[in-house]
Amino acid sequence: MSAFLTSTFMHNVFGGLAQGVVYALVALSLVIIWQSTHILNFAQGAMAMFATYVGMTEIEHGLGYWWCVIISVAVGMCLGGVTERVLIRPLYGKPEINPIVVMVGFLGVIEALAAAIWTSTTRNIPEPFSQIFYHANGNLVYLSPFIVFQIILALGIMLGVAALFRFTRLGLQLRASAMAPEVSRLLGIRVSRMLTFGWILSAGVGCVAGVIQASGSFGLFPTNMDGIFVAGFIAAAVGGLESPIGAVAGGLLIGLAEQFILSYWSPNVAPLGGIIILVVALMIRPQGLFTRAAGRRV
Amino acid sequence: MQKLRTFLAQESTRTRLLAVALLTLLTLVVTIVLPPVANSDLAGGAAIAIVILGLSWLIGWSGQISLGNSGFMAVGAYAAGVWAHHHATTPLVFTLLLATVVGAISGLIIAVPSTRLRGPYLAGLTLAFAAAVTPIAQNFTSITGGEGGLFMNSLATPGWFGRLFHGANAAINANAQWTADLAVVVAGVAFFFMSNLFHSRTGRAMRLVRDNDVAAELMGVNLSRARSSAFMIAAAYAGLGGALYSLLEASVRPETFPLTLSITLLTLMVLGGIGTLSGAVIGGIIYSFSPDLVSWVNSLTGVNPTSNLGANMQGIIFGLLLIVTMLFVPRGLVSITVPLRKLARQRKRRPPAVEAASL
Amino acid sequence: MGRVRRSMTVLSVSALALFGIAVGSLNGVAGAAGSTPGVTSTQITIGASVPLSGIAASYAPVSAAANAVFKWVNTHGKVNGRTIKYVRLDDCYDLASYGLGCTAGASVTTLSQNQVLVAQDHVFATVGSLGTAAEESVVSYLKQNGVPQLFVNSGSKAWDNPSQDPDLFGYQTSYNAEGKIFAHFIKTHYAGDTVGFIGQNDDFGANGLLGLQDGGISIATSNSLTYNAADAITGSTSDIQADVATLAQDKCQVVVLDSVPGFTTGILEVAHALGYSPTWIISNVGADPTSVNYVGEAGAYTLDYFPAVTDTGDPWIPWIRKVLLADKADFPTFTQNSILTGNELYGAGFAVAFVEALKAEGRNVTRAGFIKAMLSTKFADPAITPLKFSGSNHQGLQGGVIAKIAANGSKAPVVGIPVNGTVYFTGNSKASPLNSTKTLTISPIPAWLKG
Repeated sequence: MSAFLTSTFMHNVFGGLAQGVVYALVALSLVIIWQSTHILNFAQGAMAMFATYVGMTEIEHGLGYWWCVIISVAVGMCLGGVTERVLIRPLYGKPEINPIVVMVGFLGVIEALAAAIWTSTTRNIPEPFSQIFYHANGNLVYLSPFIVFQIILALGIMLGVAALFRFTRLGLQLRASAMAPEVSRLLGIRVSRMLTFGWILSAGVGCVAGVIQASGSFGLFPTNMDGIFVAGFIAAAVGGLESPIGAVAGGLLIGLAEQFILSYWSPNVAPLGGIIILVVALMIRPQGLFTRAAGRRV
Repeated sequence: MQKLRTFLAQESTRTRLLAVALLTLLTLVVTIVLPPVANSDLAGGAAIAIVILGLSWLIGWSGQISLGNSGFMAVGAYAAGVWAHHHATTPLVFTLLLATVVGAISGLIIAVPSTRLRGPYLAGLTLAFAAAVTPIAQNFTSITGGEGGLFMNSLATPGWFGRLFHGANAAINANAQWTADLAVVVAGVAFFFMSNLFHSRTGRAMRLVRDNDVAAELMGVNLSRARSSAFMIAAAYAGLGGALYSLLEASVRPETFPLTLSITLLTLMVLGGIGTLSGAVIGGIIYSFSPDLVSWVNSLTGVNPTSNLGANMQGIIFGLLLIVTMLFVPRGLVSITVPLRKLARQRKRRPPAVEAASL
Repeated sequence: MGRVRRSMTVLSVSALALFGIAVGSLNGVAGAAGSTPGVTSTQITIGASVPLSGIAASYAPVSAAANAVFKWVNTHGKVNGRTIKYVRLDDCYDLASYGLGCTAGASVTTLSQNQVLVAQDHVFATVGSLGTAAEESVVSYLKQNGVPQLFVNSGSKAWDNPSQDPDLFGYQTSYNAEGKIFAHFIKTHYAGDTVGFIGQNDDFGANGLLGLQDGGISIATSNSLTYNAADAITGSTSDIQADVATLAQDKCQVVVLDSVPGFTTGILEVAHALGYSPTWIISNVGADPTSVNYVGEAGAYTLDYFPAVTDTGDPWIPWIRKVLLADKADFPTFTQNSILTGNELYGAGFAVAFVEALKAEGRNVTRAGFIKAMLSTKFADPAITPLKFSGSNHQGLQGGVIAKIAANGSKAPVVGIPVNGTVYFTGNSKASPLNSTKTLTISPIPAWLKG
């Protein structure tokens, strides 16, 4: 058993899962926004990064780790809500290029602002759990207490979001306003408020990914979510943008693919994993692997 | 004068050639009076303007979004770089054409799986492509030179041109002006072909594909072929621009083509004006003189350029410009002149011509 | 149709005429023909393209220290009656297109900044420009315009190519030589240990690895891993974690790092997180004391070509402190109590060498004359190994002393090696022998520089 745990194969499985859950969270947050407003938030990663900075630099003022996490997520959610009200609201019904361009601009502003306020040198967030790998019979197992925590936290968030959509009134209203805004409005759902809430929820989920990423060994710097966003975005597209389950599956798939390519080929070509999976997935089903076949939106 | 006006009103290949040739010549004359450093900046701007024009065509005319044009630029730059590195004596025209063709092929490869995709999926695929280009270039060291890249001889001034200059810094001034002139001429040719494309049947069909693909299909347009060809043309332009850029730089390295370059290109294209020739020109000019723009804003706001804020002023300015432009002037800087032109036209009581094609 | 053609012809011809007139008018504008660019009777202008912001901004003190030396010379007797004007332009390590933290603007490249130096500031030469790939990208341009490229801040052996590039000079010990010296050190003190390597994916890493192998160290292929300088900006640092994990898995007891400071920090941090602490041997370029953290029990070593910053017995240390203290513009926060850094020693080092060669050339300064002076000058400079150039060697320094990096971050001579250190010398090629001496080269400060 221990020989199996320390094998290169399992090493890659664990490494891929650890990275994959972060991708999956970002993908999930993108899907939530896409479902409610049909906008792809290019600044999702950067917004999470910014919120993480606001919360996590409080550690330097002596605040405990978990308080900082709460502050980060709260700031992230506020940022999401304000963004929807100020930047996105004027763009509903405009050509699809418009919101993409605006969010790309927002991405640039946030990253530059973060660098202006906190400099672009990497900050290390003291992680809540040890990052030292477990050993089995003197061999490394590619799992540390932190990675275990990261996987459990991410899965917990995903289940929470699923529960919210399935079992709560709020979730029902969210789904209703996304699917049939006119009918929902007639039924007395405040659709506009639901759209904002979708952004708040999405930013919160994205922010958890940001906190995990910054707490890991890579640390926090203004562009630390760029690569994560690209992978998360690809994951969401593989899953079909409409499906939360698809986003999560896509995230894990890409995390694993990158890790295996990195291990068996070269670290340099790991980003190819995402593009290969995306091309194959889109060739099979242009609307994503997990979306119900539907009339194409023109 | 009246005759000339009527003549210019009839859009034809010839008039467009004339207009582009005149503008090119005018720019060439300007390079004579520009200081050498401004000439070097202008050369880089011309290369970038070509890439922006391709992107402008793709987004503005075919309605497809690409965030991968830095990747196509890299493909063209490496095609030119690898060739020029091994064949230093090849005429420039051949190297540039080679890069254009290779760029077009790479565009086709990306376009084939993309034609069935719209909006965000397409943006995602092209983004993934741009993200993958740098690692690929870094990995295949034997061809690309890896992280260190490839180095070429910098563009030499031909003897006859050099002899026009005298004085202490003759050679330097001549070289700066020669490279600027070269870039401007290449850009002029590229702009001429694009202006024709805008007015061709393909251009009109592309607009229809963008605005109403069902109608286009009814009229016999093969949608996926139209979209792929739009992609291919945009990639060819990116390839040409990238090749010109790398030849001006006399080097090609993976780090020259980061994802952020795609975003910069998009920003410049939107700032100038989507789907127009003059928008691409404006974008290229903004690119050339962005360092001056940044230091101007720093001095205007009294921000110390070496402070943290000053160091990141460029990102803030460009990001804000992009947001403000898209929210308030979605058709770019070029559209600011449109109301004026409309006014002029109304006075003459003539039906408005095709706006987007105005040069 | 005929009218079209005619109007086109008329327009073209008139535009061409205008073009010709303008060219003609420019011909009148001319400087004093025949004089050396950048040299007047009272001043000599030199320049450099260096990272002052962006990813490699931590190297900014190098050129600042050089500038401090030039200012010192200007106020303490000048060089043959001339002051030195040092124009430093920020090229963001040729990575400005990434934007972030780079003040220079997205369209700035190392080439564009060198075009400014050459065509606008008319520099006599570039002195102390920084970066392997960045400087390689301007070799052709500077050569074409006859501008000497002196004391390039990089250990690539690309600068040592006198037959092709007679006006190109390096300064520091090459990565090849460094690798060979590391190999000797490992064979002497860590014989039989498994050796791992992480290096930058360009000349730096490649030549460093080659040096180790030329020196007789075998490195398992799986351990000779690479990373890319731009990873720090794009955030794709996952390679580092994988690299270090592989080294840990293969139980490497000695790990050689050819990395820039930002990456040294990252690698040591990841290793610390993994609970992995081999003996680290870090290239001089990446062993900036502030970037070496978590060295672990086995400690870390580097190659040094300057005296220890705390060595008060060396005449140059107090002199450089005095020079930096005098330059309030470049070193506003430097006080009596500040600690010198390796970057400052390096910058002061090549600046001293430049003024000595300039002094040796005499009052009549030409580029050709200066190159001759570079080849014949016997430099008295801060380095602890001799700085010599010749017709067949443009590398510069050829060796150094192994120094232990103490856990507190400051460099100190390694325990177990004579306190004054053994200085090792070698050339760039596999065949050039490795020599050593027990004495450091401590050059006295020339009287005219003392002030």
